Amino acid sequence: MSSDTDGSGRPLAIEAEGLVKRYGAKVAVDGLSLRVEVGEVLGILGTNGAGKTTTVEMIAGLRRPDRGSVRLLGLDPRRDRARLRQVLGVQLQQAYLHGALTVAELLDLYRSFYPDPRPAAELLDLVGLEEQRRVRFEKLSGGQQQRVSIALAMVGRPRVVILDELTTGLDPLARRRMWTTVERLRAEGVTIVLVSHAMEEVERLCDRVALLDGGHLVAVGTPGELTARAGADTLDDAFVALTGKQLEAAG
Amino acid sequence: MSTTATQVTAHRPGPRAWLTLVVCETKMVARDTAGLVVPLGLPLLILLTSAQAAGDQEVVAGFSALEAYVLPLVLTMVIATIGVINMPSFLAYYRRSGILRRLAVTPASPAMVLVAQVIVSVLQTVLGLALALTVAFLGFGASPPAHIGTAIGVYVLAMAAMYAVGMIVAAVAPTPNSAVAIGLVGFFALGALGGMFGGPGSLPEPLAELGERLPFGAAVQALAAAWVGVPVEAAHLVGLGVTVVVGSVTAGLLFRWD
Repeated sequence: MSSDTDGSGRPLAIEAEGLVKRYGAKVAVDGLSLRVEVGEVLGILGTNGAGKTTTVEMIAGLRRPDRGSVRLLGLDPRRDRARLRQVLGVQLQQAYLHGALTVAELLDLYRSFYPDPRPAAELLDLVGLEEQRRVRFEKLSGGQQQRVSIALAMVGRPRVVILDELTTGLDPLARRRMWTTVERLRAEGVTIVLVSHAMEEVERLCDRVALLDGGHLVAVGTPGELTARAGADTLDDAFVALTGKQLEAAG
Repeated sequence: MSTTATQVTAHRPGPRAWLTLVVCETKMVARDTAGLVVPLGLPLLILLTSAQAAGDQEVVAGFSALEAYVLPLVLTMVIATIGVINMPSFLAYYRRSGILRRLAVTPASPAMVLVAQVIVSVLQTVLGLALALTVAFLGFGASPPAHIGTAIGVYVLAMAAMYAVGMIVAAVAPTPNSAVAIGLVGFFALGALGGMFGGPGSLPEPLAELGERLPFGAAVQALAAAWVGVPVEAAHLVGLGVTVVVGSVTAGLLFRWD
């Protein structure tokens, strides 16, 4: 079936076709199509309001597109909800967790939802929170809370992971640690969609990059292709050349 | 159908997930000290301050004002504080903070949290009930209800009515703080009209009539009737039943998961 592979016969993990989402009069995403191969790490870059989060939330089945369709490993995110949840891990922007529970209790809670969860010790090691395992979520720093959220995206051994603002708010050490985590997942063959503000992160981790602006897909390609297409020296300059906008510095 | 899709099988969270969730919700409630103290402490305080005097006033043969008025009031306060104030504030907090949204991308559904909260609320109610009854029976020599089955039935119905009111609060409150505020105002309004600050005789006639049909007053009256062994008035049961229906329908229409 056509939805299983791209033109060259490689299997597709995500296939989004003609996605449109409006909030009142504002068009957040305007006819966006995107394909992600199995095992690929795709970066989504764009300024605030470019439609990045809305796009990944439609892919994850959290928002219903006004038009267009999504297939994730051949599943419809809304119709095949129950099956999709088994294979998809999501780290949401600004999603808080049960504040009075400790890190270990939260991991156990989310582990109980899946048939074959990753061991808690492995998750703690993945995000470097072994020492905070008995600390309540509400007592953690913002960066540590973010790392719990990332660990929870990995709990169910997902085949596709969506990370919205992976390293925003993390200190440089934690950021590098997250990059190693993403590389480990990629080595396991996990497909990853990474929403980011940070060029360095995207250049290091992503096989391909999708540039979004005003709800449109402006360009998609490897970092090298995009740089060459824009006749620029860096991905940063390529972004400015292709969208006419300056990407704000990573938070 | 594609091969990748057919390899995936749906897996509903099983009994272990339910147990873990209920334990986690219990920890959340137990670690919220203020939320725990009000439903257990406030009714007990009323009981301790008024039981002695009430126990000396015989109202019906064999029953004093302790059974005919104070205990029904105190036990109704337990379910009203839990149902109308505590439960909606937890749900509003879960919604506002994104916890329900986060659960929506796992195999668990946000509705599981709702059910778990109700289970924990019932456990909390049983604790409050046991505490108040122990003090009343052992400390003040209160008599058990004449119609114990009716009393239990009325109490369960009243509990459902209080949760229904709480679900309306959770549905209309935009923020956790407003949920607490609306819950508190709702609790005191229903309580005042239902005789929480002195018997129904202290209210003007039309207000007392109204209050008796609202869930707090209806629960107190129906529970009192079952306790002293007189028939429960239909109007009180209808008041509770209507609250359950109106609350469920309103919440069903208005409740937002995010």
